[in-house]
Amino acid sequence: MRNVVAIAKVVLLEMYRRKDFYVLFIVTVLITAVMGSVTFFHDPNIVQYLKDLCLFLILASSLFIAIGATARQIPAERESRTIFPLMAKPVSRAEILAGKFLGCWLACGVALLLFYIFFSCVAVSREHSLPLAQYFQAATLQWAMLALVVGMTLLGSLVFTAVSSNVTISFIAVVFILLVGRHLHQVAVHMNAASGTFITGLYFVLPHLELFDVRDLIVHDWPIIPWGYWLGALVYAAVYSALLLTASWLLFRRKVLQ
Amino acid sequence: MSVILKTEKLRVEYKGQQLGQKSKVALNGLDLEVSSGEVFGFLGPNGAGKTTTMNVLLGFVQPTGGAASLFGIDVRQPIARRRIGYLPELTYYYKFLTAEELLRFYAKIFGLSRAETDRRIDETLKLVELDSARKRLIKTYSKGMQQRVGLAQALINNPDLLILDEPTSGLDPLGRMKVRDIIQRLKNEGKTVFFSSHEMGEVETVCDRVAIVSSGDLKAVGRVEQVMQGHPNLEKAFLNIIGYQN
Amino acid sequence: MTPARPFVFLLILLVVLCSGIAARLDCWFMGWQGNRANSWNPLDVFIGSGQRLFAESFYREADVYYHSGYYPTIYDNREAFQTEHIGEDTGAVASHNRGDETGFMGAPLDFIDSFGRHFYPSRHTHLDEGGPTDDLSTSYRVAEILPWLKIASKLDPRDVKTYLVMAYWLRVRLHKVSDAELVLRDGLRHNPGDPQLLFELGRIDFGDYHNLASARGVWEGALRSWAAEKPNVPRSERLKYAVENFDDRFIFEQLHEYLAQLEVEATNYPAALNHLKLAQLASPKPDELQQQIDDLKRKMAKTDSSSAHR
Repeated sequence: MRNVVAIAKVVLLEMYRRKDFYVLFIVTVLITAVMGSVTFFHDPNIVQYLKDLCLFLILASSLFIAIGATARQIPAERESRTIFPLMAKPVSRAEILAGKFLGCWLACGVALLLFYIFFSCVAVSREHSLPLAQYFQAATLQWAMLALVVGMTLLGSLVFTAVSSNVTISFIAVVFILLVGRHLHQVAVHMNAASGTFITGLYFVLPHLELFDVRDLIVHDWPIIPWGYWLGALVYAAVYSALLLTASWLLFRRKVLQ
Repeated sequence: MSVILKTEKLRVEYKGQQLGQKSKVALNGLDLEVSSGEVFGFLGPNGAGKTTTMNVLLGFVQPTGGAASLFGIDVRQPIARRRIGYLPELTYYYKFLTAEELLRFYAKIFGLSRAETDRRIDETLKLVELDSARKRLIKTYSKGMQQRVGLAQALINNPDLLILDEPTSGLDPLGRMKVRDIIQRLKNEGKTVFFSSHEMGEVETVCDRVAIVSSGDLKAVGRVEQVMQGHPNLEKAFLNIIGYQN
Repeated sequence: MTPARPFVFLLILLVVLCSGIAARLDCWFMGWQGNRANSWNPLDVFIGSGQRLFAESFYREADVYYHSGYYPTIYDNREAFQTEHIGEDTGAVASHNRGDETGFMGAPLDFIDSFGRHFYPSRHTHLDEGGPTDDLSTSYRVAEILPWLKIASKLDPRDVKTYLVMAYWLRVRLHKVSDAELVLRDGLRHNPGDPQLLFELGRIDFGDYHNLASARGVWEGALRSWAAEKPNVPRSERLKYAVENFDDRFIFEQLHEYLAQLEVEATNYPAALNHLKLAQLASPKPDELQQQIDDLKRKMAKTDSSSAHR
């Protein structure tokens, strides 16, 4: 665990010293500020569209950070050959993968925390109320989703040689799952037996990222998700992340590095 | 003197990257033993199998056959690398870190205590003369300074065995002299050094024993004087052993 | 060494040539109708009329908001949502959409579907009825649909329905009559003489400002505009055309019905009778209008006899 934490800390330092996060944060703040400055029919109570926009920007930015940062970890280490001095130390490949995963996920968590603080300020300035439980559920579920995204991208970085192709494919996969993941079984109903079976299989195998995207509940002020289901989603994310990490390790453990 | 680095009938075969491409034998049953306190030179022309041997010892490549061990532990176990230091031929380190942060990271992986880490960082940075630049990001370092950071990281755990892959490659004469001094100093401290080099003069000066490999086979191994026997210098002996006809 | 002077001259010559061509092209470009550079709106510059494609999405987003986030996707059972649902939402039928969406979405297909329904809005609600909390004290939140309608109208200013819906919510539910009027006038700027917009504008004059003269002018203008929109239909056939085409029939009937109301209020009964008769021709419920005609005739007779007495 010591090695995992040490590697994760280096990943965090890298994220801290790179400009990606700052750029995305500034873009989010600027767009939200511009949209927030527009008043519709002199009604200062209109806030939902602003919350919607801000949460969308947060989702998009966090996906950029998660995929962008994770995709380059192992390939960049190999390309710049920094992996060799590291692997010459008493550290296993499993620990390297776990450290990279933890580092990227923690970095996403830090970024998400800052984004949500900003979001809370925007929402409170208009709504004058802060439904903490809803925000907590939304932030934690989104962070759990990012664990899955980081896991998927890490696995992709061991399959695809180029960082760019991994980023593109991971992004398409995530957007596809978020948009149609929930409906695949309904799509399968309208297909022939072979395709339907395949799509149904895909529905059960794919990570259900859409479970963690609870923006609509926050935007439209729905009551909180029952805590049991919230916990169930977190357990699902943990189990699926472990699955992705195991698959990554199976690919990485005997990979020739030179 | 105990044997701390050992390979037995070590064989590495790389599979063809494309369909129908033949596999390539990089090491063909290599037997090697390095005892503690030795400075061991590992020589061979390009493509002879030197880097592959080091890659196996460091766990980068899994052997196809045979065995390799460090301090009696199979090299596939990460614990086998607990008492070694490694300096790669090309030194690229995390450029977003400072030298001190890099050394602290590696020290943590070796499980050094905080006090021990501070002490070793001070010692190694002084040894490689980077003490004044310890807070600067590595990306601002010159090539020579980066090579010295590499040496510092290889020494951070006060290793008993140092594996150096062409340590003086790309250095200016002053840099080479400093590296030779450090190897000599480590030898005096009773450390074992296993290094590959194309610089025969350097090997002749600092090594106790040498091994010469060519096309994946071990061609010669022994004390420098034994290998040189009948030749005016190590370079002539090396060329003769690998079968180079002038 | 190659002398530099000829190259300097060549450079100056090229700069002059480029500037000359640019100046000549600029004159033509500024007057060209496809020139997007005249607009300050980045959407006009970058995607031009392509932005109209997004307008429908934003219009739909307003409906999503009205239903507190719930809206069927193309994969869900949309049939119910598009038929009975709309009728029930607008209050056209006695029952009203409330409560659990199970009826719409069907029973969960599997455990993932069942589990997932806790993570997105899946209950039928309306913002003007308190939204998901059913708390009527927050029903002002219906205003939340307005930004999307406003954006939709900006993206596709030729789409009349956006202005109509926006004006409806502003006037009827939020009691912001002046804002509703501004929205309709904005719509008319982009769709001059549109009978539906004029009809709504007349309702504001009549119902909110009680300005009968203005309302009459606007509605009669709407009728003239409606007739002018059909230059290929002979004047004598226009009534028949209105009766045969649902959209036209609706606006034709509404305009005449409201004009009749206005004339009744202005005690101009013969004109009111004339409007009611025309409305009856286009109305899907002529019996109801016949009732009004009879009432009016009685009223007229009563007025006539009382004036004869006098």
